[in-house]
This record gives sequence, C-alpha cells and structure tokens, in this order.
Amino acid sequence: MFSYYIKIALISIKRNWGLSSLMILAIALGIGATMTTVTVNYLMSADPIPHKSDQLYYVRLDSWDPNNPYNEGISPPAQMTYIDATNLLKAKKAYRQNLSSQAFGVIEPPNPDDLPLFVFGRANSSDFFAMFDVPFLFGSPWDENSDLSKEQVIVLSKQTNDRLFGGENSVGKTLRFESKVFKVVGVLDHYDPKPRYFDISTGAFDDPADFYVPFSLIAEQAVRRSGNTNCWKTFGDGFEAFLASECIWIAFWVELQNQDQVEAYQTFLDAYANEQKNFGRFPRPIDNRLTNVTDYMEEREVVADDARMMMAMSFMFLVVCLLNTVGLLLAKFIGKAPEIGLRQALGASRSTLFLQYIIESGCIGLAGGLLGLLFAYLGLQSVETLYGSYMQGLATLDFNMVVFAMVLALVSTVIAGIYPTWRACRIQPARQLKCQ
Amino acid sequence: MLEIGLIFRALMRNKIGALLIALQIALTLAIMVNAIFMIQDRNVQMSRPSGLDESNTFYLTNTVFGENYNLQAALQTDLQKLRNMDGIDNAIQINAVPLSDGGWSMGLAREPGEDKNSVGTAIYMVDEHGIDTLGVNLIAGQNFTQQDIAWRGAQDTKWPPKAIVTKALATSLFPDDWQSAVGKTVFISKDQPMQIIGIVEQLQAPWNGWSGVERSTLVPSQLESKSAKYFIRTEAGRRDEMMAAVEKFLSESDKQRIIRQVMTVEDTRKQSYQQHIATNKILTTVIITLTMITAFGIVGLAIFSINRRTKQIGTRRALGATQWQIMRYFMVENFMISAVGVTIGAIGAIALNYWLVNTFQIDPISIDLIIYGVIALFIVGQLAVFYPAKRASLISPATATRTT
Amino acid sequence: MLEMKNINKIFQTADVQTHALRDFNLTVNEGDFVSVTGPSGSGKTTFLNIAGLLETYTSGDFYLDGQNVGMLNDSGRSKMRNQKIGFVFQGFNLIPDLNLFYNVDVPLRYRGFNAKERKQRIEENLARVGLASRMKHVPSQLSGGQQQRVAIARALATDPRFLLADEPTGNLDSEMADGVMSLLEDINKQGTTIIMVTHDPELALRASRRIQVKDGRVSELDIVAEKALA
Repeated sequence: MFSYYIKIALISIKRNWGLSSLMILAIALGIGATMTTVTVNYLMSADPIPHKSDQLYYVRLDSWDPNNPYNEGISPPAQMTYIDATNLLKAKKAYRQNLSSQAFGVIEPPNPDDLPLFVFGRANSSDFFAMFDVPFLFGSPWDENSDLSKEQVIVLSKQTNDRLFGGENSVGKTLRFESKVFKVVGVLDHYDPKPRYFDISTGAFDDPADFYVPFSLIAEQAVRRSGNTNCWKTFGDGFEAFLASECIWIAFWVELQNQDQVEAYQTFLDAYANEQKNFGRFPRPIDNRLTNVTDYMEEREVVADDARMMMAMSFMFLVVCLLNTVGLLLAKFIGKAPEIGLRQALGASRSTLFLQYIIESGCIGLAGGLLGLLFAYLGLQSVETLYGSYMQGLATLDFNMVVFAMVLALVSTVIAGIYPTWRACRIQPARQLKCQ
Repeated sequence: MLEIGLIFRALMRNKIGALLIALQIALTLAIMVNAIFMIQDRNVQMSRPSGLDESNTFYLTNTVFGENYNLQAALQTDLQKLRNMDGIDNAIQINAVPLSDGGWSMGLAREPGEDKNSVGTAIYMVDEHGIDTLGVNLIAGQNFTQQDIAWRGAQDTKWPPKAIVTKALATSLFPDDWQSAVGKTVFISKDQPMQIIGIVEQLQAPWNGWSGVERSTLVPSQLESKSAKYFIRTEAGRRDEMMAAVEKFLSESDKQRIIRQVMTVEDTRKQSYQQHIATNKILTTVIITLTMITAFGIVGLAIFSINRRTKQIGTRRALGATQWQIMRYFMVENFMISAVGVTIGAIGAIALNYWLVNTFQIDPISIDLIIYGVIALFIVGQLAVFYPAKRASLISPATATRTT
Repeated sequence: MLEMKNINKIFQTADVQTHALRDFNLTVNEGDFVSVTGPSGSGKTTFLNIAGLLETYTSGDFYLDGQNVGMLNDSGRSKMRNQKIGFVFQGFNLIPDLNLFYNVDVPLRYRGFNAKERKQRIEENLARVGLASRMKHVPSQLSGGQQQRVAIARALATDPRFLLADEPTGNLDSEMADGVMSLLEDINKQGTTIIMVTHDPELALRASRRIQVKDGRVSELDIVAEKALA
C-alpha cells in the first residue's frame, strides 16, 4: 500500500506541477538557507577532538592587576605569564603539559636565488603533539631533552615540507631558519583543526601553523614570537625583563585522565598561587581555573555572533517557507475534495486517506530537501567566497548535515501537511459526489 | 466601501487561509525590517573615513633575517631613497596601519598612578613626516620636529615625552573642551608623562570593531625592529605603478630581507570589512528571497481561491459587476489580509529587534524603518494579487449558467 | 438484504432544521433493480447517501446484508462500502489525474487484493464495459458515455452486492444514456442488486421495481401498478 501512495503522490505532484513546484521551491529555499547557516554554526562549534576533549584542560591563573580585574572579574586572564607557565611545566603535576606561543620567522632556501620563505608557526613543548593527537607523516616529535637543551629542531607542516622539499621525507635534513641551522625531526600530515582550540587568542579559525619549534627557543630569542600580549604592570627594558614581567602571552594546557587528577591539579594550582603570594605576586583573590576543551570553546564564544544571528534568521525564513507550504497544501488538498469524497465512497477510511496525503506532503518535503541540499551547497560556496579565508573549511556539508537536512525537510513538511490533510479528510463525501 | 463587510465575512469563512498569508507577511516584515536595519548599521560603520589619504597610499612589511644587520642605517637609507623617488610624495616607517587589524594599544590617563582610570588608544609610531604621509589633518597644536624622534628597541618600554592625539581621543580625555588638550600632560603606562603637542582631526585605530576606533595617538618613535612596516604616499594616480616600483627597488637593494604584504589601504579597507560586506550581501539575498516567497504564496492562494469561486465570480459578472469591481474585490481582500499581517509583523519586528539587541548588542530599531517596511509589503501584496485578480476579472459571465 | 426501519435524517444548521427523511421504511431484496424517483429536494439523494453509507442518519435502524450499520465506525463503514457497495454518479467522478487502469484500481487497492488479482479484475471489468483498449487514457480523453462506463467498471470491480446509481445518465445524451442503461440491466441480470435514483420517468420504468420519495417518505409505485393490472 505504501508504494501505491507514493505512486499516487508522484502522479498528483506531476499533474499539479505549478503548485507543486512552488511548494518544493519554497521548502528548498528554506532548507537551503537553514542548512547553510546550521552547517557554519555546526562546524564552528564542532568538538575538534571528541575522544579527548574532556581530558584536555586549559589552565588560567589570576595573576592580574589588583585594581583593575581582567575581563571585569568574570574570568581570570585568558593567557599565562612566562614565569607561571615555566614553573607549572617544571612541576610536571599533570599527565602531560604543554605551553605554547605563536612564532614566526624566515626560512632561507638552500638555493640563494630562490626567495626566502616567511613562515608563521608555534613554539611549544614536546608533549603538544601527543596531547592534541597531531598526525605525523614522517619522523616524530622532538623529545623533552631537546626542549630542555634548547636544540634547534623543527617540525614542518605538510605544506611547508611540500614547498621546501617537494614533499619528500625531509627528516634528518637541515634548513636555515632565522639565520640559524635547524634540523628537521618530523613532518606533519594535514592538520588544521576548526576551531583551532589550543590557541584562540588571535582568532579561533586562523590558518594552521607552518612549523613547530621547541618553546625554549623563544627565551633564547632564536625564533621571534607573535600573537596577543597583555600587560598590566610596568617592567624594565630588554627581553629578560619582559620574560620576568606580569605580561600574559602563553597558552598552557594539561592532559588529565580522570576526575581525581583534575581535583589534584586544581589543588596544586591553588597551592602554587598561594606560594607565589609570598613573592608579592598574585595580588588578587585566588581564581585558578581548569576548563576542558568544549567548555572553553563555549565560554569564549568561538561561534561568531553573525553566524548565530544568521542561523536564527534562517530558521524564521524556514518558518515563512513552511507557512507558505501549509497554505499551498491547503489549497491543493481542498481542491481535491471531490477526489477525497470519491475515495471514501470507494472504501477508503479517513485514516487511510490521512496517510495518503501525509505521504504526499512527505514526498514534496523530500523533493524540497534534495533541492534544498543543492541550494545549501551553493549557499556554502558563496559563503566561502564572500567571507574568504575566515570561512575556509567551515563551509562543507558532511554526512551528518545531509541526513539532518533530509530529516528536517521531511519532518517540517509533514508537520506543515498535518493541518491541510486533516481538513481534507474531514470532507463530507456525500456533498462532494453529487455535483461538481 | 460597501464591499468591505462582505469581503470580511467571506474571509472569516476561510480564516486559516487568510491567516497563513497574514502570518507570512508578518514574519517577512519582522525579518525584513531587522535585516535592513543591520545592513544600514554596517553601511554606517563602513562609510566612516579612516582619516588616511586612502586612494594614494599603500604599505608593505620589511622583514630582515640577516645577522649583524644595521637596522638604523638601513631604515634611514630606505626612507631617504623612497622620499626621493619620482612619483612618491612621502614615506615613513610605522608600527601598524589603520583598519589592518593588527596593532598596539595603550591606556592614557590624566593622572599618574596604578589605579587611575585610563582611556584606551591605538599607538602609531611615526617620525615628523607622519602627518603628511598618512594624509591626516592637524587641526590644533603642532607636528613633531626631527629632534623629537627617538629610536625604540624591540623590548623597550620607555615612551617619548611628546604625542599627537586624535580629536576623538582629546574629547575622551578632556570632555569639556577638546582643544584644551594641547599642551596638557597625560600619563601612559601608568606613570610615564607625555605632553600632547597637537591634535589631528581623524585617524582610525587598526581594529574596526573596537568601540574606541576613533581614538589614536601618534608618538615620535622609530622602531629598531626586524619586522617593520613602511607606509608610502604617492602622487595622485600613481599608486599602482609605484607599488611595483617600490617593491622591486627594496627587494633588489638588499638581499637580507623580505618585502612582503605590499598592499593598498583601499584593499585593507575591503579586507577589514570583508565580513560586513559578506553579511550585507547575504542579508540582501534573504530579504529578496523572502519577499518573493511571500509574493508567490499570495499569488498561489489567490489563484486557488479564484478557481474555487469561478462560478460565484461568473454569477457576479452576470448580475452586472464590472471587471474592475471584480479586481477590486480581490485587491481589497489582499489589503485587509496585509493589514492584519503588517500589524502582527510590526509587533514582531520590535520583538525580534528586542531579542537581537539583548543577544547580540545591536542598537534598537527606528520606527521609520518599520513604517517603510509596512508600506513596502502593502505594495508587494497588491502587486502579487494583481495577476490573479486580473484573471478573475476575465472570467466569463456565461460561467454562471454552466452546470459543471 | 437492505432494510431501513423508521430512518430519520435531520440536517441542523445554525437556525434552520431540515427534516430530509421522515420515518423512512424500505426493504430491498437480492436481485432487485429499484428505481427511485421524486421531485428535487424530496430526499432521494439523502436516501441514497445513507444507503451507500456516505452519510449517517439521525435515528432508526438500518441493516445491510444483516449487519446493523449504526454500530459501525468510520473504518467499518469504509470497509463495508468497499466490499458490498458500488457507486455510479451523475458526474462520473473519475479521478482526473489517473488513467483508466488506475481509476478502476482505486477500490481494489483499498480491498487489499494482490497485484495479479487487481490486474485481472481491472482488465476484466474494463473489457466488460468495452473499454479494455483505452486503459492508458486519462478520463478527459473520453466521451461522457465512456467515462460513465469506466465508472461502472470501477463500481463492479470489487464484485459488490449493491450498485447505487445517482442519475447515472443525467449528463449524457439519449443515445449514450440508452447504452449505459442497457449495461446496468445486464449487470442486474447477472445478479447485482441495483438502486438507481433518476428523474427520468422513462428510465424509471425500465427498473423491475419503482419507488417514489416525497417529503422524505417513501411510497411504492409498482404496487399500485400491480394492483391495477390485477
């Protein structure tokens, strides 16, 4: 019987192609608009490391100005001072720990006639790669000793390796970076998490790093650092003074495997802050926080306001499209009153008819959903074009989204079809049969 | 006029159909008005002048990688040569560029001390050519002199004793009389004194979304940095030609550096507002599509209701109704539905705006805009119903006598 | 067979009460060909609608094939319509979107026959009304008489005990009407009970039993005729 209803529905849709295509178009536009914005929001708020997001914690300490609380006292400073980050790293109280900063520099090509390469990257601890499951194509991370002994080693992104070494296994080779010789120890596979959760200080959707070097090289001034720096207390001239200052510029992450470890680490942090008070630091009340990946992304509102607003508007847009569909379905089904009356005379019960017309609504919904996917695809293409690099990688439909689109189209159209169908099935057959 | 009661009673018999159209109109109005409001808001932001001579300026980043490099000498040579180049009006080294999204901010306070309120400002480090090269207007006080200019190392934290501020910053610091700012001493980095020697009319900060975007400070410093920006003003109309010439000249004159990110201020503005421009385009598309969907909905339902009433319309024609009277019936009917729709919609627009204001820090909407929206939707409704109404008016009076 | 006892039907609108049938009593036996005549508004269509289970009645008892119809809900009534009753209407009431094959298919689907049986019945019945060759046509491609034949084929496809016809020739010219009437007579001879509403006295005479409805009440015309003959 089900296939019969579908056949009848298709015939009916074909015979009333004007009205049907209007409905399909309306639903498709609604679904297209909604899916475009939902996809962008979904990818913006996606859990970038689902299997571990509850084990990775961002560490914040309130070492800020006693007179002017950071962020109006709502949350402690978003980054950490060099003193605290290096102290916490040395303490090794977590399963894994990583401190990192953005860095940049110039790579001089082996052939002096080629143009030097300007690269942006990160300076971080050796644990970084294991903590964030960074995929390696060749080689491996540097080890902790390289970090401690300030070895000039470098891990290249796939793209940088392609540009410098034509994609070959370059592990063991050397290159001139910032006028110094660095040894390549590893080459990454494609790695571009969205959002770039381990450092959102300059934007959650920035381009991926070109290289990674040991963090200790920053203090050596072997590589130049960049990124966001905030200070509240004056300090003397020179880099040493800067490192010893209360300026915050480092992202500090720890990996904690269970709740006990989390509690222990929190206790450790609070004890650390109290201890620092003895040195005249941490003038504010203790406010140290451990925040896991998803909570941190939520707190920092990585999903842009524009994207959320657009999503709200697109849902309203969908409602308009559905109201339109309700109206047109009502028109269509009431126009079918004689047929409905006849079918009742020929033995169709109301529930049978209800099913038949709901299936017809569903068919229109599915057709609208399919066309809507096409619109969503086009919509995402134009979003990517319009917003440029900001939206790179945030505008692709994945399998979940395709399923969501079809379910949304089907469910919303069936809901839109309920009232018209109910009205249609309440028709008194006797009235419809006598005169047309 | 006598028709209105009649139309109303007919509508009441098909309440749901009419209500659906009215709701569509209402939502369309609510969305449309708010979307237009957001577009206007962005347009206002985008039309703010940066204060720069935008059409004749460009900049580039000079990144040095050689060791034992004499930064001071190289900068002086570069600027000298650039200033002497044919087609170039003036050139400076600067730490940041308006609207480029990367820069340096500090707080200025009227009194020294740890706990004094300060006003945030963008910092631009320039020499005595700064005002001329940027193209900003000095409206009070005076420019820096060559003697004021001091070198600043990458890790230095000392500030020079003189500064030039924008009118907006002067107004924030001295709300009673911005002109009185000239000659006053303010404090940077809590306790370092700085004397305001001049005021420029306008110069935007690097961050277009910042509430203090009009507050900037020029300080007489030259950075001794391995990565600095050169900002260049060309003779009118020669910018594009000079961009290529300058890039070539700088790259070739010294192999121990990279010249990168050569960019016009106009492109920077475009990039800076890329999200705004994109959002505006999307919102415009939304408004157009939404209006079209609603219009098609009106057309579809009107055609349906006319088909259903063919015989009734034929009978009216047979009884002497003119074609115009038949058309008028449907147009008045649409007007009445629209009236209900825009009433709900106006309330909806305000409610939606209220929500947006609370959720996304947007300004409240103006009533004028709602009125324009209402008028626009009345017109859309009348246009949409015109074709079906015309078709209805062409129904033959003979239809009345046919049985089927 | 079909038995109506003291059936009343009252239409209630906001301020008007219409008594369409008053204490309506009628028994129709298997194999009857009953013609129902009566002036406009007499209640003959209401009678037919109630007989066809298209409308409910206000009071009284109605047995169809021994089953008390008043006890049935919508789906029970639908089932009974499908299994026991065939309809032929003045306006043919074919579904314009569907071709002849699918039009005849409609009640068979509701009956739940399998594909093979449906196909067999459709072909058989379309052949019976002489339209087997036009199976793929849609109704608008046929003449009025042909459309009515399709409607009859559809009504017969489920092998109903009763065929209810409401002015089956009302929209046809006399030649076509005669053809349709002959078809109905054949069908009756093969055992199907027919109740036909008509306003044409000539057609009414061709039925084996004639009743008249007037002001919602029924009277037998043939009894009078038989008495006169006797």
